[in-house]
Parts: sequence; structure tokens; C-alpha cells
Amino acid sequence: MDVNNVKSQMRKGMLEYCIMLLLHKEPAYASDIIQKLKEARLIVVEGTLYPLLTRLKNDDLLSYEWIESTQGPPRKYYRLTEKGKSFLGELEISWKELNETVNHISNS
Amino acid sequence: MKKTLTVNLGGTVFNIDDDAYRLLDNYLSNLKMHFRKEAGADEIVDDIERRISELFAEKLSAGLQVITIADVEEVIARMGKPEDMEAEGEEAGAGSTNAGGTNAGGGYGAGAWSSNTVYNTTRRRLYRNPDDKMLGGVISGMAAYLGWDVTLLRLLLLVILICGVGTLIPVYIVCWLVIPEARTAAEKLSMRGEAVTVENIGKTVTDGFEKVANGVNDYMKSDRPRTFLQKLGDALVMIVGWFLKICLVVFAIICSPILFVFGIVFVALLFAAVMVAVGGGAALISLFPMADVVLPVSPLSAIVMYIAGILLVGIPLVSLVWGIFSQIFKWQPMNSGLKWTLVILWIVSAACFGICFAVQGATFPELGIFSF
Repeated sequence: MDVNNVKSQMRKGMLEYCIMLLLHKEPAYASDIIQKLKEARLIVVEGTLYPLLTRLKNDDLLSYEWIESTQGPPRKYYRLTEKGKSFLGELEISWKELNETVNHISNS
Repeated sequence: MKKTLTVNLGGTVFNIDDDAYRLLDNYLSNLKMHFRKEAGADEIVDDIERRISELFAEKLSAGLQVITIADVEEVIARMGKPEDMEAEGEEAGAGSTNAGGTNAGGGYGAGAWSSNTVYNTTRRRLYRNPDDKMLGGVISGMAAYLGWDVTLLRLLLLVILICGVGTLIPVYIVCWLVIPEARTAAEKLSMRGEAVTVENIGKTVTDGFEKVANGVNDYMKSDRPRTFLQKLGDALVMIVGWFLKICLVVFAIICSPILFVFGIVFVALLFAAVMVAVGGGAALISLFPMADVVLPVSPLSAIVMYIAGILLVGIPLVSLVWGIFSQIFKWQPMNSGLKWTLVILWIVSAACFGICFAVQGATFPELGIFSF
């Protein structure tokens, strides 16, 4: 049992959830998301995000549009789709349940 | 002093040092290799390219003129190696790996995709080595296959050749024609028996680049100018190769009626075997009226012979038909257990048939000849 392995297992599902949570507040482009995830110390290398975003987009949970930027080429702004919102709702419920379970076990 | 290149990265133009360019190019191709099983692989790599371009632009706005190798290294450390991206992982990874694994030709696809499930395909394959060849790269490929020194093997074969074993020349030519050339990085790796992983492929790609850039691999490098004699050899072998291939085709065409006849005889034999099995000796007699009207003395050995005969003819026939159908309809190949059972059954029936044939043939020579 490798502790790093378990940790990364725990982070796996979290990451999608957090990205969707971030995008639920406001549309953002990849570098914004990276910034926030790094602040939250959720990702170490930036490359992790891109395959995730593409997968979420391919599953119709996210959509993006190109928006002109004052500095440099246009940027991809991601936003949550309707399907993504209901998906996020389910994740939120599941997260609360998990939280309660862990609290319950650690307090009992 | 360094040479610089101008590149378009994610829609922005950068001046980049030669070595930095090579590192970046290698990194991006590794990423492409890594994600290629994924839906939207191009998009992922494009996005990463765009991000790198953004990071470079930040650097340049700080007053730099040229992207150096240190900048690229920093950016790669920031973006992460392909395997790091997987390690932090996502659950879709497992699913895609499985999906990739089922159709991976020789385990290469699945192995290259995820560093967690590294396929140690260390099985060597025989290829011709295009990077180190005197004539066709046959010896070089064999040396890689055997793990021997190329020069030693060449010398050895030369000595054998000089000692008068002229058959080596046609053997060499046949090898040249039959053994495929290692073209891709993956093939070159399996030629040397190294595991086909992203890291190794990256290494090969870089190695190849280094060799061209530094001219390490001297005159034998395939795209280096070759001497007149070598060119002559190349041309000669190409002509001989064509000639042999044409001969092969002509031979096949000539043989096709014979093969056709063989096929018909085969089916007829099968038919006869079935008839005999169903109708017993009487059918055989009616099929071959020219044979003397005789019945086998021992019915037991006759039955054994019939069954053995049917199996003897039927197993190859069924396997053949199965093979053709599985090619056409993309059936799953036969599992090896079944295959071996059939082979053993065939050998046993061949033996039984042989024994019975000897017994019967000795008693009734005419029947022996005509029945099979």
C-alpha cells in the first residue's frame, strides 16, 4: 500500500468535481483554472488539466467558446452545460454523503 | 553562438534556439504519442501547445529575445511529463487503457499509452536495420536480434563466404526480400528487444535526431550519401528483388490450375471418405468400379481406417475453411488449446490411418491404392 498511490486515488474524482465547481461560478479559460487549482494545491503539473477538460467537453458536461484576448491570440473559455450542471448537482450530493461518512466514522 | 529557428506555436511566432526547438518538438511528439488513444488527442496537445505559447509570451514580455533550452526545460517541468499527467490521473484512464488493450497490435498500443501498465514487450523481432547497413541491413538486423556485435557477425559471414560457401549469397538475398525493414521507432525498439514504451520511443526519436545532427552515425546512415559501389549494390538488389517477385507471381499463376486441381481432388477425397463412412465398403466399390470387388477382412480395422481417414482429410479442410472465414468475418482466432488438440488428433489419425493402410494395403493392394 503506497501512500502516494492512495492519495492520488483520492484526488482522482475530486479533480473533476473541483473543475466543475470552479466553472459553475463563472466561465474561465484554462490558465485561470490552472491558477486556481494550483492555489488550492490540487494539481502539481499543469498538463493534467488538459486531457480532463477535453474529456469533460467530449461528454457534453462542458462547452467552450473562443473569446478575443487583449494580450495574444484568442482564448478558449469553458463553461458548464445544462447537463454539466445536473451532473455537478449529483456530485455535490455524493460529496456531502462522503463527508458525513468520514465525519461519522472519525467521530464515533 | 547558436542557430535559431522561427516557429509558430499556438498561433504566436517565436524565435527559438536549435537545441531548445528539438527538445520541445520531442516533448510535443511524446505527448501526441501518449494521448493518441484518447478521443480528442489533437485537441489536448493543441491546448497544451497554446499554454506553452502563453508561458513563452510571458517570458518574452519580460525582455527576452529568444527561447532557450532552459526556458523549454522550465516549461516542461511546469507542464509535466506525459507519465506525470497520467499519474495524477483520472478514472477515464483505466477504461481507455482497457479499450486500447484489446486491439493493441502486439501490446504496443496499450504499453505506450499508460505508464502504469507498461508492457514489457522484450520479445525480439527480426527486422532489417536501415540505420546501420552495408547492403540491405540484414546482418545488422540479425546482430540486433541475436544481441551480437555487427562487425563481428559481418566478418564471420565474410570469412564463411570466402571459404567457399556461395549459398550464402542467395540466402542473403532471400532474407533481404523476406525480412521487413524496421521503419518506425517501435519496430526499431522491438528489433533490439527493448520494451516499447513512451520513454523508449522518445529516446529513439531523440537518438535519431542526435545522430543526424551530430553526424555520429557516419556514412552508413541511410540518408547519408552512399558510395558508388553501395549504390550499385542497392540498384542490383532492387532489380533482383523485382525479378524474383515477378517470378513468384508468374509461378503462382502457373501453379494456380494445379492448386485448383488439388482442391478438387481434395474435396473429392473428402466426399469419398464421407461416402465410405456412411455407406461402408459398398459405396467405395461403387465409387471405384475399376477396383476389384473386395471387402476388408477385418471390419474393425476398416472402421478405424474410415474414421481416421475422415479426420485426416477433414481437420485440415475445416481448419482451412475456418481460417478463410475468420479472415473474412473477423472472427476471434481459434484458441491455442483447441488448435493443439486438433493437431494431436490429426497426428493420431494419420498414424492410425497409416497402420490400417499398411494392413489393408497388404491384403488388397488395389483397394489400398484407390481408396486413398
